[in-house]
Amino acid sequence: MAESTEIALNREQQLELYYFLRLNRSLEEQLARLFRQNQIVGGLYLSLGQEAISVGTAYALGPGDWIAPMIRNVGALLVRGYKPRGILTQYMARYTSPTFGKDTTSHFGDLHVRHVVSPISMLGDLIPVMTGVAMGARYIGQKTVAMTWIGDGGTSTGAFHEGLNLAAVQKAPLVLVVENNQWAYSTPVARQVPLVDLADRARAYGIASVVVDGNDVVAVYGAAKVAIEHARSGGGPVLIEAKTMRMCGHAQHDAAEYVPKEMLEQWKARDPVARFERHLTEQGLWDKRTKEALDARVQREIAEDLAFAESSPFPPPELAEQGVYCEGCHEIAPVWQRPVEELLPPKSSVRAEWPSFAEAAEGRPGNARMPALAEGQTARAAASGNGARRGRAKAAAKRKSARRPARPKARR
Amino acid sequence: MAVDVIMPQMGESIFEGTVTKWLKKPGDKIERDEPLFEISTDKVDAEIPSPAAGVLKEIKVAEGQTVPIQTVVAVIDAAGSAAAAVSPAPAPAPARAEAPTAPAAPAAKAEAKPAPAPVAPRPAAPAAATAGVRGDGHGRRIHSSPLVRRLARENSIDLETLTGTGAGGRISKKDILAAIASGGSVAARPGVPGTAGAQAGGPLENAVPRERIYFGSYEVQPMTAMRQKIAEHMVASKRVSPHVYSIEEADMTRIAQLRARAKDEFEKRNAVKLTFMPFFLRACVQALRAFPTVNASADGPNVVLHREINLGIAVALDGGLIVPVVRNADEKNFLGLQRAINDFAERARSKKLKPEEVQESTFSITNPGTYGGLMGLPVINQPNVAILGIGAIQKRPIVIDDAIAIRSMVYLTLSYDHRVVDGAIAHQFMGKIKAALEGWNEEIL
Amino acid sequence: MAQVTYLEAIRQALDEEMARDPSVVLIGEDIGVYGGAFKATEGLLARYGWERVIDTPISETAIVGAAVGMSYLGLRPVAEMQFMDFIVCCFNQIANYAAKSHYRWGAPVPIVVRGPSGGGVHGGPFHSANPEMYFVHTPGLKVVCPATPRDAKGLLKSAIRDNNPVLFFEHKFLYRRVKEELPSEDYSVPIGKAALRREGRNLTIASYGAMLHTCLDAAGELEKEGVEAEVIDLRTLLPLDREMILASVRKTNKLLVVHEDTRTGGIAGEIAAVVCEEAFGDLDGPVVRVTSLDTPVPYSPPLEERFLPNAARIADAARRLAHY
Repeated sequence: MAESTEIALNREQQLELYYFLRLNRSLEEQLARLFRQNQIVGGLYLSLGQEAISVGTAYALGPGDWIAPMIRNVGALLVRGYKPRGILTQYMARYTSPTFGKDTTSHFGDLHVRHVVSPISMLGDLIPVMTGVAMGARYIGQKTVAMTWIGDGGTSTGAFHEGLNLAAVQKAPLVLVVENNQWAYSTPVARQVPLVDLADRARAYGIASVVVDGNDVVAVYGAAKVAIEHARSGGGPVLIEAKTMRMCGHAQHDAAEYVPKEMLEQWKARDPVARFERHLTEQGLWDKRTKEALDARVQREIAEDLAFAESSPFPPPELAEQGVYCEGCHEIAPVWQRPVEELLPPKSSVRAEWPSFAEAAEGRPGNARMPALAEGQTARAAASGNGARRGRAKAAAKRKSARRPARPKARR
Repeated sequence: MAVDVIMPQMGESIFEGTVTKWLKKPGDKIERDEPLFEISTDKVDAEIPSPAAGVLKEIKVAEGQTVPIQTVVAVIDAAGSAAAAVSPAPAPAPARAEAPTAPAAPAAKAEAKPAPAPVAPRPAAPAAATAGVRGDGHGRRIHSSPLVRRLARENSIDLETLTGTGAGGRISKKDILAAIASGGSVAARPGVPGTAGAQAGGPLENAVPRERIYFGSYEVQPMTAMRQKIAEHMVASKRVSPHVYSIEEADMTRIAQLRARAKDEFEKRNAVKLTFMPFFLRACVQALRAFPTVNASADGPNVVLHREINLGIAVALDGGLIVPVVRNADEKNFLGLQRAINDFAERARSKKLKPEEVQESTFSITNPGTYGGLMGLPVINQPNVAILGIGAIQKRPIVIDDAIAIRSMVYLTLSYDHRVVDGAIAHQFMGKIKAALEGWNEEIL
Repeated sequence: MAQVTYLEAIRQALDEEMARDPSVVLIGEDIGVYGGAFKATEGLLARYGWERVIDTPISETAIVGAAVGMSYLGLRPVAEMQFMDFIVCCFNQIANYAAKSHYRWGAPVPIVVRGPSGGGVHGGPFHSANPEMYFVHTPGLKVVCPATPRDAKGLLKSAIRDNNPVLFFEHKFLYRRVKEELPSEDYSVPIGKAALRREGRNLTIASYGAMLHTCLDAAGELEKEGVEAEVIDLRTLLPLDREMILASVRKTNKLLVVHEDTRTGGIAGEIAAVVCEEAFGDLDGPVVRVTSLDTPVPYSPPLEERFLPNAARIADAARRLAHY
């Protein structure tokens, strides 16, 4: 596991985090209004209350890393450089959308610049795909990490299991963020999984995990940073369980009356955006003017992009017939970052035999539970301005206590 | 500018909503996104924000009323800029209640049909080819097959005269081929496939999305059958034949003088008006005799040279045009041509033409000059390969022997199909017409 | 030149493409140390190493999903289904991920999913299937079914080089039963083009896979009776080579389609519709089908024999059509 992970955030970074949180929140509020004005074709799915997870995890990635956002990860797309108009035009089905109107919500991507993979509507399938992305990147010599998100409900699918199992066995550099927002449509998590902590699933795959307060963007960032470095340095996949609450219906057409009112009230008090605002104020990281400037910037950007989206045309009908096959429209070639001779005989030749069983057992990855970073821990460190009190001492101590023996215990 | 406020669709299976409360009344000012009214649906109750800033002009759906989605529930007088107003929302697939209210059946058909790329080359024999069974006069069903029926039609063979050796006494391919080989039919005539091509105009398509056609105030008039047919034919002709144009001018002075001199006598003697048209027809006949490829049709890689010269004469009608055909024009004399032309013109306008009188032309002529046009660039009348356009006959100054003379001139345009006719032929053809007109020496009385 | 079996031809294609292009990797169950359940990948681990020949857990969804993900990095993974019967375990990944990726968001998926399909080997209901039509029905995929060693090698190379997801249905009955001399130089066979195997005047027989050989046997019998059958090997089911089929029907005016796939929803229905739409006036008889029964594949030999088409049944149908 990474020894000296830099998880402190300086003032500039924290203001940037706020910008993304605010942009995420305001953009989705605008989308909700557009839905009620019949401007959105089809369904609308929001991440109200969960913004800290999308923003915090994506913010911890390196520029070459890959992500695959689900529908409630608009924040991650924004951190990755997509502008509000990308999301607005998708929902409004315009020709100027990243998919030219062919698909909606976050179902788009960019293989070459932002390294974003599009999801499909079926849940869990992104995990084997991102496992493949991680394996592929490693194969061509990159030290990149693949990150994707899934809800508590999505962890019930077969694809989740098959994907994570393969990632674990392959020690793929994959970070999986499980957003436990307590509800899968109308099904409470207690009916979805027989576990209190979804992070416990990681033990079944022998991979590392961490549980974090999903409404604390700094804690989320910290957990993601540690997880990413663990995966990047060859430690295998990491499962982050971010605990949060879905503060709106499954979609805009879902009034979510099945959610007990007290539950909503409790979680409202822990709203991630309000919380972070309080933190910035208490830590003296901003003043009223700075906040107003950031808020104004967000409003302006959304208004500009909304005007763009509204004045964008719909796609021409003929587009429906195009693009089924790729016949010469794309050049497909890996960006090699290792000498390809290694992959051809004679350098690539091996003895086609299994290693001895003793070797195999030793190589099995540990399934330690990584330390959850204490709420506000790194933020306090950054406020002092002179770098970090790194969490590594604490982390190392916790690791020692969680280490398992190499030979698995027999279970009944 | 008026902005409609509509009942939104709050979920994929929601098709109506009830207005439960208006938060503003007519005359109130309203901001963009400010809550305007509340609704209730099967799935959710919601507060609906205003789509525009301005003044609430009119409420169309009262509290307590339930209306389908997309219904206009109120109208806002919006303040000015286009950016503030919301463009009419696209309806999701099920409900298409768009503004154009005209029944517009043909327009709707045109919109619903798929765009270009036709699925298949049309089968040679459309509706006519039923399951290969025909009855003869004695009530006996004749079994054949689509192939056999097509070959029979193409070769003008009556299936009732054949005996079948196929399964169950069916007339098989072997049988029909044998019949054809034994010369049991007329020499191969171009059958239905050729003329079917002219009908293959296909559905009428628009060049721009429908939304760009309907704006402001308008009235929709469905096309008459004739108009649609013309439209389809014109599109098909331009699509199939590469149109090239050859323009010539002819000195009609001689003919004009002849006509002026002979008009009264001619009309008294023959009880038929004397126009310029038969002169042009005669000239065409001469030119077509000299250049048979202009009296032809194209069938894929084949040129079909017609032995008859059947001249189609375009006649303008109210709201359209029709092209009656003077058959075997080369076998008619001047008087015969004039009679035919006048008779056609009259019966065309009184809608008394028979179907066979508007078919099987080999060359066509149109006369935009009667309406004052200097010259025209007509569309070829399929399946011809050329059409002559005659301009107005006007006095113009021209140069003769280096001196200026005032002569009665006419511009002639030949639109020709460059698949079959080349420039050299076209120009020579026109030269022949010009020579025939300028050197007219035939007696007409 | 040695005669090469259909199976060896496949192995050669994989070997040669992996040597030619380091972006080609193999992924599947038991393909590495074991060399594949049918030995299609024998020797490749030893040559190309653990990174390029990846043995996986029993997880068809993960196998194909990982292949898709790897292809987004510009690699060209070839995933093996141990039996093509198991391809329906990862139906969602193929139909909803791979097939729609380029259409929706412009991301091509240059993967190949290959494996043994078909019956006649006493495999029973779960090791003898012909699942190709589930995927012919899915826009965005290509579906290839070679019948000869030459085509198996050439089409697999084309599949690997293709930028689209290609499902490559090998026929296990043919693995060791058919042999052919192969060109020594590099060659490929284009996807989407059928092959004319036998010229004839009286009727056209169209088929693919193992049935192609059965049709050729039947055609040999018919020739003795004076019925000349023209035999077309479809080779690719999606995209279908309509032109060759239509040209042949315009010539012979009679069409018989034979496939080992079950009757309802098999490619014969699709071909009959195409011929009706585009060459109705050229038909001198109905389009006839000879196919397997509409049942799961039974196990006991007399049952499987009843299930499958054979040369006698094909010749009988052809005879009746020729004399119609």
